Amino acid sequence: MQILAILMLLGGWMIAVGGLVTSDALAIRFVLAFLGLGTSLAGLVTLNQTHVQNAIWKKGRH
Amino acid sequence: MMGSTLWRRRHGWWAAAIFAALVGGAAPLHADEASDPAPVAITTADLKGVSTPSADDLAKGDPGGTLTGSAADIVMADPKAGLTIADLVNQVGQNRIAINFVWTLVTGFLVMFMQAGFALVETGLCRAKNANHTMMMNFMVYGFGMFAYWVMGFALQQGGSAGITNLGGMNPLNGEFKLSLFGKDWGLFGTKGFFLSGSSYDVGVMVLFLFQMVFMDTATTIVTGAAAERWKFVAFGISTFFLGAITYPLFGNWAWGGGWLSQLGGNFHLGHGYCDFAGSGVVHSVGGLTALAVALIIGPRIGKYNRDGSPNAIPGHDITMVLLGCFILAFGWFGFNPGSTLGASGAGSLRIGSIAVNTMLAGATGSFAAVLYMWIRFGKPDASMSGNGLLAGLVAITAPSGFVNTVGAAIIGFSAGFLVCLSVEFVERVLKVDDPVGAISVHGTCGLWGVLSLGLFADGTSNYGGSWNGVEGSVTGLFYGDAGQFLAQLIGVCTLVGVIFTLSYVFNWLVEVFVGQRVSAEAELEGLDLPEMGALGYPEFQLVTPGTGHSVDVGR
Repeated sequence: MQILAILMLLGGWMIAVGGLVTSDALAIRFVLAFLGLGTSLAGLVTLNQTHVQNAIWKKGRH
Repeated sequence: MMGSTLWRRRHGWWAAAIFAALVGGAAPLHADEASDPAPVAITTADLKGVSTPSADDLAKGDPGGTLTGSAADIVMADPKAGLTIADLVNQVGQNRIAINFVWTLVTGFLVMFMQAGFALVETGLCRAKNANHTMMMNFMVYGFGMFAYWVMGFALQQGGSAGITNLGGMNPLNGEFKLSLFGKDWGLFGTKGFFLSGSSYDVGVMVLFLFQMVFMDTATTIVTGAAAERWKFVAFGISTFFLGAITYPLFGNWAWGGGWLSQLGGNFHLGHGYCDFAGSGVVHSVGGLTALAVALIIGPRIGKYNRDGSPNAIPGHDITMVLLGCFILAFGWFGFNPGSTLGASGAGSLRIGSIAVNTMLAGATGSFAAVLYMWIRFGKPDASMSGNGLLAGLVAITAPSGFVNTVGAAIIGFSAGFLVCLSVEFVERVLKVDDPVGAISVHGTCGLWGVLSLGLFADGTSNYGGSWNGVEGSVTGLFYGDAGQFLAQLIGVCTLVGVIFTLSYVFNWLVEVFVGQRVSAEAELEGLDLPEMGALGYPEFQLVTPGTGHSVDVGR
């Protein structure tokens, strides 16, 4: 899951920057930038979930 | 010095005479241009003002300050030849650079003092049993970060930034590593200035280094707040070194050092490229996102969450310390933002007045919004969140401070004040990330908001010497007609979240694997002062941790 989350984080950035080189249309670039940001944020949430799943308070140790 | 004074006494009168002759000779030229409306002609009448103190005047002293500073103080290249127009022109140029040097250095000193503010805020928001440890992290971050930045961070960030006209325009930092992709150059990092040696042994570079170094240190000290009360000191040292040597300089290069983000305007016609006047993104978002990475890896403090995931409040031990720290930070921010002109003379630098007022306004409205939110939601004007609201407003206005008007600044600060309250609750309750001081929300969330707000509110009136990031004209946001600028800012946010956060996470995960980020549970319960630092912050008090029944008797 951690690897997937990291790939989503980096992939989101690549989508956003890729929009700049694939199109000159501002609207398309905007769509891809928001899509990329959304992907990266989803990766961040996924990464957070992996840590919450293993949290010490969840296991009841403390 | 003595010889120079004697020379001035003997020759001051004829220096003035030569000056009069030179200006007099130029007078007909001005007369020929009398039809031009703008220029103010220098006439022989003006020469009455050119005088130097006599030997008697010099002997008497100048209590009124009317004689000190005259034509006799202008440095002549060749005293035997007397005062020339070249001497005057060179003196004017050097005076401009001198003003800019002094401005940049003094504002840099103010930013350095912000470390004291951070230390007070973070220590005050932590428990007394961790006071020494928290204060020491904030203290040593200065040394660890500075060392890393001197060794390589500055070179990676500014090594290809070329000459800065406000600091003299010398060009020893002229090496940028670039990749050529899709027909464009993508600047990635600088290659000149390691150890500040070689050609970077230059007075202008030294001023730039000092100013940039204290900015980097601000970013590194943000992380210590989010990881406080459980961070192993050795892990903190390694993590700080990496942030100062690699992560911060990389994004700094992309934004400020001539790297690819700053060239989005020239390469892809997105406004003026990614703009970040004083570092909402470069400093605060980088610090805030690294804080999030470390806080994720290190986990919450013992007792922060119950088994059902509900959070417990762990109050700090000294709110007076917190609010004093906030005031010190607000004071230092007058160095942070206005100082980022890197000068007070020429190239639009007089906008420092506007930048200072924007800074002041955003901080005030941020604090006001946070108090309002807390008062309405919880029935009391929470002190620590009003402090965080102030800092949130200041963080958010950092990027746009040089490009927006006062109404824009007030709106940006006010929205940041609300945003920080929402973000603190989101991070604590939804993400379940333990951030004892709210650093992720103040610097990460509001830093990103600051980056975006520039792309919305930049009013197109600021023109620092004609262009910004090599694009002619003034920086203009979406609300004033340039959607491309907002997109450039959005790409900056994507880069911060997608690349900088990931880089910080991966490195700190490696530290976790090889060194370990977190202290033992026993050390955490006892407080980190004795186990990690070997001395208590408050040795004449008995420290009791509420709820745990754990106490440290330090009276013996």
